[in-house]
Amino acid sequence: MTLVFTIIDSITKFFHSITKPLHGRPQAQYIVFGLLFSLIAWLPHLDVIKWGTMGVFAYIAIYTIVALGLNLLLGFSGLISLSTAGFIGAGALGIGVFLQLGWPFELAVIAVVLISAAIGGLIGLFSLKVDGIYLAIATLFVGEILSQIYKQVPIFGGQAIRIGSIEFLGNFELSMISQTDRSILFMIVAIIMGLFMVLMHNIVHSKTGRALLAMSRSEHAAQAMGISLMRYRLIAFMSATIFATVGGIMYAIYFQNVPTTSWGLELSLFMIAMVVVGGFKSIYGTFIGVIVIHGIPNLFLKDLFGDISYIFSGILIILVIIFYPRGFVYIGHDIKKYYYKLKEKFKRDEVTNNDN
Amino acid sequence: MTTKPILRLHNVTKHFGGLTAVDNLEFTIYENEIIGLIGPNGAGKTTVFNCVTQFYKDYEGQILFTNKDGNEIDLKDYLVTDVVNQGLARTFQNIELVPDLSIIDNLLIGAHKQYKTGIFAHIFKTPEAKHEEQKYRDKAIEILASLGIDHLKDLYVAGQPYGILKKVEIARTLMSDPKLIVLDEPAAGLNDHETDELEKIIKDIKDTYNVTILLIEHDMGFVMNLCDRVCAINFGKYLAMDTPTKIQQNKAVQEAYLGGEE
Repeated sequence: MTLVFTIIDSITKFFHSITKPLHGRPQAQYIVFGLLFSLIAWLPHLDVIKWGTMGVFAYIAIYTIVALGLNLLLGFSGLISLSTAGFIGAGALGIGVFLQLGWPFELAVIAVVLISAAIGGLIGLFSLKVDGIYLAIATLFVGEILSQIYKQVPIFGGQAIRIGSIEFLGNFELSMISQTDRSILFMIVAIIMGLFMVLMHNIVHSKTGRALLAMSRSEHAAQAMGISLMRYRLIAFMSATIFATVGGIMYAIYFQNVPTTSWGLELSLFMIAMVVVGGFKSIYGTFIGVIVIHGIPNLFLKDLFGDISYIFSGILIILVIIFYPRGFVYIGHDIKKYYYKLKEKFKRDEVTNNDN
Repeated sequence: MTTKPILRLHNVTKHFGGLTAVDNLEFTIYENEIIGLIGPNGAGKTTVFNCVTQFYKDYEGQILFTNKDGNEIDLKDYLVTDVVNQGLARTFQNIELVPDLSIIDNLLIGAHKQYKTGIFAHIFKTPEAKHEEQKYRDKAIEILASLGIDHLKDLYVAGQPYGILKKVEIARTLMSDPKLIVLDEPAAGLNDHETDELEKIIKDIKDTYNVTILLIEHDMGFVMNLCDRVCAINFGKYLAMDTPTKIQQNKAVQEAYLGGEE
């Protein structure tokens, strides 16, 4: 038993020493995290995972970006939005539409982000008038309107928009058909995820993040300190929609075939579940929430249980919420605590044994 | 004591429907005074505070305030979120701190309007933004140190004892370099020892930061010990404004608290 403890201790010590340059530098940690995640891109080449599995990891990166934005809204500002999926769709389909119109990729990105931010701003203005459940219902219908537009308006291609390939800077053409290109696309998505984690960290650890928190806890106190409710509601909603739209753009980049039917309420609710399960206000927690809600069911449970896997993922999520109501991100803390307790107990037992 | 007025109320009246909460109130506060606003329950004290800090904008009359630049302004021309810029900071009756932020981060919220850099500078962590953040962090530590709680700066607000929270809230008002601090029942919920300590703190910050203090308080011992002058109101009407000893002897004030003879 002592041997096990020594091994675990030396492994953690080793890990601690190689990560030393990152201590106290959260931004660098997120970048390294994104880079490490991007290494998954080469696993299918080595036959470690299937190509389809890489798609699940791409979904995880995309949903993480979206859920971070939603966390800014739910966790920091105490505001709810049920139209997240509509904005992911706006990013993905918008890119498709502009590319088909012959716009260069970069210009299309800017256009799509600006349009979504404007709609997000409108919802922000609206949120000054209504609160709580009323805001939820209003955003529910914003999402519903968006999802109907995607299905009905012919410009979105009926069933799906096929993009085929993306040309970066008018030079590098990357297409899903080539396996190498696919790996590169995955790396792009993963690194963008890392960058958005940094972005999120910087927002929440600045005047803006503090103002959002102050606003959600007490509007009166926030105003007395000069925090304009209108300004920060706009910032919260616009950031959340921009994050969602960027997630959608990543979807378009990676999958290059965007369906029009998958941007409804169900996905919005799943996004909220990711934030809640992972942990409000936590960046890694958001990632863990995406893993629990989307990753585990699609990576493991589907292979194990086939069609009834969703029942098991449902049970899993309920268990997580029961045991970690503040977010699954606290599991790391609990494991550490349990480990030290075990070690202490073992040491005590040993001492008493020796005494005898 | 200087005789320069810092806050002047002129015929301030505020109605809630048919109820007149503040009725033609008129008083003046001078720089570097500690003023207590007293009155029985429902006398309209908090309403006066909310009018002064512009939470209520539909009052009649004028509230004039000498701002940081030394100009006398009509507060009605300023939004509720702008008065802090002019040098008017307040605390709340129930502590309104952000429980899931550290104490120092709560103080930084108080400096919100002081920041010059915008959101994009913060997102990309420009040198200016970093420098500015550090500047206000240092300032916050300095203020916490002067209240003797700098060792707690990185702890969360949630779970701290009430006495500490009161200090943090006062410290937060100081972050905006105020000229006038409005305290809504600072001693409520404190024990005797903490009340004595608070008394000393308020006197100290008045001298160190050169501020004027206006406070509402029910604890008469606290008010009489601390305040330079006391203003008594009842049913929104001005009763008297004088030194604590004279207020205690004032007939109208005694009647308001103990009931009239009729």
